Amino acid sequence: MMRNWLSKMILSAGCFCCPGYIHIQAQTIVNTRHNLSVSGPGTVKASSESEICIFCHTPHNSSPLPPLWNHANSGSVYTLYSSSTLNALPGQPDGTSILCLACHDGTVALGNILSRGPISFSAGVTTMPAGNKNLTTDLSDDHPVSFLYNAVLSTADGQLKNPSAITSPVHLEGEKVQCISCHDPHQNSTSSFLVTTSQASALCMSCHDRTYWNTSTHKTSTRTWNGTAPNPWFHTPYTTVANNACENCHNPHNAGGKLRLMKYQPEENNCLDCHNGNAAGKNVQTQQLKTYRHDVFAYTGVHDPVENASIVNRHVECVDCHNPHAVNSSTASAPAIKGFETGVSGINQAGNPVAAATYSYEICYKCHAGNTWAPAAATARQIVQSNVRLEFATTNPSFHPVVGPRNNAEVVPNLIAPNTATTVLYCTACHASDGATSPAGPHGSIYPQIMKLQYLKADGNTTASGTTESAAAYALCYSCHNRTNLLAGNNSFPEHSKHVVSERTPCNTCHDPHGISSTQGNATNNSSLVNFNTTVVKPSSGGILRFEDQGSRRGRCYLTCHGQNHNPLSY
Amino acid sequence: MKPVKNVCLVIAALFCFQLMQAQTIVGSKHDFSTQAWNTSVGQQICIVCHTPHNASTTVTDAPLWNHASTASTFTLYSSSTLNSTMSQPDASSKLCLSCHDGTVALENFGTTTNGTHFITSVYNLGSGLNNDHPVSFTYDAALATTDGGLKNPTTTASGLGGTISQNMLFGGKMQCASCHDVHNSAGQPKLLLKSNAASALCLTCHAK
Repeated sequence: MMRNWLSKMILSAGCFCCPGYIHIQAQTIVNTRHNLSVSGPGTVKASSESEICIFCHTPHNSSPLPPLWNHANSGSVYTLYSSSTLNALPGQPDGTSILCLACHDGTVALGNILSRGPISFSAGVTTMPAGNKNLTTDLSDDHPVSFLYNAVLSTADGQLKNPSAITSPVHLEGEKVQCISCHDPHQNSTSSFLVTTSQASALCMSCHDRTYWNTSTHKTSTRTWNGTAPNPWFHTPYTTVANNACENCHNPHNAGGKLRLMKYQPEENNCLDCHNGNAAGKNVQTQQLKTYRHDVFAYTGVHDPVENASIVNRHVECVDCHNPHAVNSSTASAPAIKGFETGVSGINQAGNPVAAATYSYEICYKCHAGNTWAPAAATARQIVQSNVRLEFATTNPSFHPVVGPRNNAEVVPNLIAPNTATTVLYCTACHASDGATSPAGPHGSIYPQIMKLQYLKADGNTTASGTTESAAAYALCYSCHNRTNLLAGNNSFPEHSKHVVSERTPCNTCHDPHGISSTQGNATNNSSLVNFNTTVVKPSSGGILRFEDQGSRRGRCYLTCHGQNHNPLSY
Repeated sequence: MKPVKNVCLVIAALFCFQLMQAQTIVGSKHDFSTQAWNTSVGQQICIVCHTPHNASTTVTDAPLWNHASTASTFTLYSSSTLNSTMSQPDASSKLCLSCHDGTVALENFGTTTNGTHFITSVYNLGSGLNNDHPVSFTYDAALATTDGGLKNPTTTASGLGGTISQNMLFGGKMQCASCHDVHNSAGQPKLLLKSNAASALCLTCHAK
């Protein structure tokens, strides 16, 4: 009986309290980490103070700053965010942002209030403990605040919505972005006290309007992380690419890569923590670790989004060839760009910069088209040309069909289907990661020059030091050019077998695979990609080093090679 | 069984005591009977503010007012997130400020006009009310809706037996007396209307 009486008391007390309590839990500061009172749920809290509002507000004798501010100000001078792509002009924090920083810059004791003596905190805490809640006075790794966000900025930036399009609960304070534009210090129904959910970067998208983004795989992919460290989403509660969206790469506070608030510095780490087999479909990291690669690891802080399309300061980063805001899975035929090359700057065949490449080779031309820092050509030749753009011009006496088709019936019989006289190739037909299942593109290869297949070039000017011909030795060439026909002399140079098999001369000794620019070569001396390797092929006894095309599959050579004087020899 | 019953009874007794404790101005901060400046006959308590006869009507609806009224023009609270319209303190708030703005001497009641004792320290709000919670503004359902961070005063319980409107507003307005009971009926520190433990008083109105 007594127990029943007790139960009824507890029950009635519960009925009285619970509805209100649940209401409070869902909506108020009480159950958040911002309840710094002794009743707060967080680890940073007062040792005995019961009032909740008092840490920030007081009804009387507040600081002159609204809203009835009660916390001692920091007075710090902050290092501000800046970047080459920043059009806004952040000033020292003002408005309500300095109120937040009174605790979150870590310089002022949390219990240092104005209306009365300091409030002591439990566990010996005084200022904000180090960690992601402590922004420090270096705000260069945090999303900027206290800048004017108006239509002028929106227009100048081109990737920001007009502020009139920003809808509640995201809001500006006056015309400025402040901490409270994204955060509501009084409620934590999302996470991180955000005013609205950051799922699928809804909060970011309230202001940011990135070109290409809506069709990007980084927006739409439902792929998840397999749990193998490192966690690409260490800073969010979300578990798919689509839900992490911007935060796949960016971190709005305490960003490892300050410029553009990337998760990490160096740059490639932002990509490779997913593209390492742990989240993305293809493992690019494996390719990037091969001996011959576009070495994204070798450069840090050199790439700049506003740099010239023709790269001046030598470097390569993932984002030089890929636009992470734009990448998608659409396909195309050479030479048109594919989805993973969408929205990447380039240099067109005329040598002019383009904001977004139309053709895949235009992206390669950013570095491989006469840049002053470019390394010497891999092979010393009669005609020296390191500008690939000139080598591939369709007006050249001979060229591989990268910019346009050869339309040369002579080579057709020796091509392996589906290649024809009208075929156009991507650069990646030859330069790509080795391995049949590797991700497309020239990430890295076990073969020099990032060749997709083996392409041996050794030729020591003697037979002994040459390369033993085999299907594997020249697998790259033989993937398009019919080995049997070539070596039989059918429909091609009839002495191929003698040179390549008997004399062990590699393809590369006589042929310059990209092409010979019409500004340097001509149809007589440089047809069929002939441009001799001058470390192997020397002038004839008459002092002449020259190939002469004498019509269909006829010609003669003046040279000395492997001890054999051609002065000339004809075929 | 018996210890349980005893514990319950003790809890119940404490609960009742808290509710029913008879609090009074006597002995409170507003008991001026021991203040040197209170030169009234017998150092009366009520006379500092009230008189049964010949009361001042300077302030509308003043309850038999006996103290000189402030003539200050106050600097009002403002902020970018304030939705209510601010105006000069009126009604009972103006009466409070007649001591608490520090411009009128404490002993300027009855016929005294030349007092020399003024309120000091944190109790002196001054005429700059921009660092004080606003008063004398209409707090209704419309304001709650507009603000979004205030509870509807007509439907929200005050914790004092009725709604906020019924127990804490005066003519629909928030005044000093919305938070403070000058007569100390609740026996709370700072003459609060009810306990502010866990900021309960603030959170009566603020949906934060």
